[in-house]
Amino acid sequence: MLLTAFPMVASLYLAFTDYDLFHDPSWIGLQNFRDLFADSRFWTSARVTAIYVLVGTPIKLAAALAVAMLLNMKHRGQGAYRSIFYAPSLIGASVSIAIVWKAMFIDDGIVDRIAQVFGAPAGGWVGDPSKTMPMFILLATWTFGAPMVIFLAGLKQVPAELYEAAAVDGAGPARKFWRITIPMLSPVLFFNLLLETIGAFQVFGSAFIISGGTGGPADSTLFYTLYLYIKGFAQFDMGYASAMAWVLVIVVGVITTILFKTSNAWVHYSGDNR
Amino acid sequence: MRSPARRALVAGSSALAVALLTAACSGGTPSGTAASFDPDEEVTLTVAWWGDDDRAARYTEALDLFTEQHPNVTIQRSFVAFDDYWTARATEAAGSSLPDVMQFDSSFLREYAGTGQLLDVSPYLGDEIDTSQLADELIDSGRIGDAVYAVPTATNTFASFYNPAVVEELGMEPPSEAYTWDELADWVAKASTAGADGDPVLYGSNDYTGVFWAFLQHLVQEGVTPFTDDGQLGFTREDMAAWLHTGDDLRSGGSFFPVQRQQQLAPEGGFTVNEQALEMSWDNFLAGYVASSGTDDITMLPVPSGSDGEKHMFARTFQMAASAHTEHPAAVAELLDFLVNEPEVGRIFGTSKGVPATQAQRDAMEIEPGSVDERVVAYEEEYADQITEPAPVPVEGFGALEAEFKRLGEELAYGNVTVDEFVEQWFSLAEDQLG
Repeated sequence: MLLTAFPMVASLYLAFTDYDLFHDPSWIGLQNFRDLFADSRFWTSARVTAIYVLVGTPIKLAAALAVAMLLNMKHRGQGAYRSIFYAPSLIGASVSIAIVWKAMFIDDGIVDRIAQVFGAPAGGWVGDPSKTMPMFILLATWTFGAPMVIFLAGLKQVPAELYEAAAVDGAGPARKFWRITIPMLSPVLFFNLLLETIGAFQVFGSAFIISGGTGGPADSTLFYTLYLYIKGFAQFDMGYASAMAWVLVIVVGVITTILFKTSNAWVHYSGDNR
Repeated sequence: MRSPARRALVAGSSALAVALLTAACSGGTPSGTAASFDPDEEVTLTVAWWGDDDRAARYTEALDLFTEQHPNVTIQRSFVAFDDYWTARATEAAGSSLPDVMQFDSSFLREYAGTGQLLDVSPYLGDEIDTSQLADELIDSGRIGDAVYAVPTATNTFASFYNPAVVEELGMEPPSEAYTWDELADWVAKASTAGADGDPVLYGSNDYTGVFWAFLQHLVQEGVTPFTDDGQLGFTREDMAAWLHTGDDLRSGGSFFPVQRQQQLAPEGGFTVNEQALEMSWDNFLAGYVASSGTDDITMLPVPSGSDGEKHMFARTFQMAASAHTEHPAAVAELLDFLVNEPEVGRIFGTSKGVPATQAQRDAMEIEPGSVDERVVAYEEEYADQITEPAPVPVEGFGALEAEFKRLGEELAYGNVTVDEFVEQWFSLAEDQLG
């Protein structure tokens, strides 16, 4: 408890100070927060992160659900497929994959060459500020393993009788999906949505590696946590970084609360008679 | 739960305050006088440096030699890349637990020395640390007031590197030694025009106006002291804007190596993939340039002349510093002396950190004719009479200011900011850092 509480209390205190690691912290009240909201790079980092969360998370969850449904069908070697599809998630957050990812997307890298076959103009994605975000979303989508496994477990819980009854009533696959799978899966979907949204706010490792810790090119990959790191550990403005951390805590807290509030409307718990 | 946490916080910060206070009063050494080295006492020292595997191998060899000569000393080593190095040191400094001996850069001297983190080695100078071969101005590069917080191990001078093979392919002559900044700009424009139809496309240079040290060199040439003695900026917004505007035509004309491609090549660059004819950097980069580009005959020129036709160059020192909180200051002094004066260390490192600061180490280098070491030494010797200015003593937060200059340089190259916005944003960080 103390191990968690002390750093949190300390960082809350530091958020109201001017602290550079070398001199004693000096109390400056709300100055860090005022500077923060006037800082254009802060807003850039907030925008970059918001796009990543809003676009990346749904795509990743859709991919995870699609693969989970494929893997839920019964045929031989299913265990092996599950392992294979889960593998990227084990290594996706690692340093080596970020490096490989970068190599794939540079000039004349494999993605550039394939894109040229389909008539796209030559040029890698890494140096083009308009293409770095799609690249990160692809990387995130590729590591869909964790939500996929949870979806798969959820799919196993859906009673087969429901599908049989629906088939008898003449429901097609789309209707079964929207009327049975999604409602029955909604608690799992909600759980995944929550975890992945919070996780997306905290993306750091891949961004740090691919841009060399700068958020470049031209701040297009300046994720919130990366800017926080730059402020704290490159510019040694720990007070400012702590203030950023607390703004993030509050934003994530508000979004989580909103998700919980709306969940009453769409999450269906079976055995629940409401 | 709340009160122990607060107590710990208070205890932590007061411990820090006491440590800083003690360090400030005593000038770093516990007693204020030099302790002497005891060859029988078992001592463990920690040593840290930034650099690559090549440098690590050299340090290993040198430190092994030291422990051979001083069997009572054990050395724990650690090394990482430059940026991570300073992150780690800053965190350690906050806990007063810096390594006993550190490779050091004067960009960070004021931060660390000014807050009592570094050992004042002045009591050991001329005693444990032999200074008979060190020029005064080199010692002064680690001096703040009466205290000396870092010892010089090597010197670096800024230079223009060119790749003769690329220059020839462009059908150009390299710039003459007497070239000015304007002539350099013309040369780059011509080179990039000549290279535009090549496959790959060749360029004259990267955007050197985005290199902070090139800007500082230009200021020194025009008689501006970049950083004042009281740690403030000696140049104005107008100075910086004027400098950046010198690259306007080259930037809009696409004459600089494209920033998009540079981003993708990092940590390599246009120069090391042989698609760029010229680049400015420190002379100890020659070894790296030769190794990465596979081009043996990379050649160095002095920087362009200032408006009075003189070069006004300066040499920066590569330093070693020690923690103020070391338990073994005498053994630390012994090690610093070894790294500065031991001829074998000169042989081991060559010019990989720059030209060794002492004659004994320069003489010990095994210099092959035409080798990288020979060319770096020859460069600093040949232009010694043009190295006339003291190196600017960086202000507090220099590292962050240099990084911001580089970042804004990229934004400028992408066309995301104007020169005025560049200057405005840089000065706003500078004012924040300098208080």
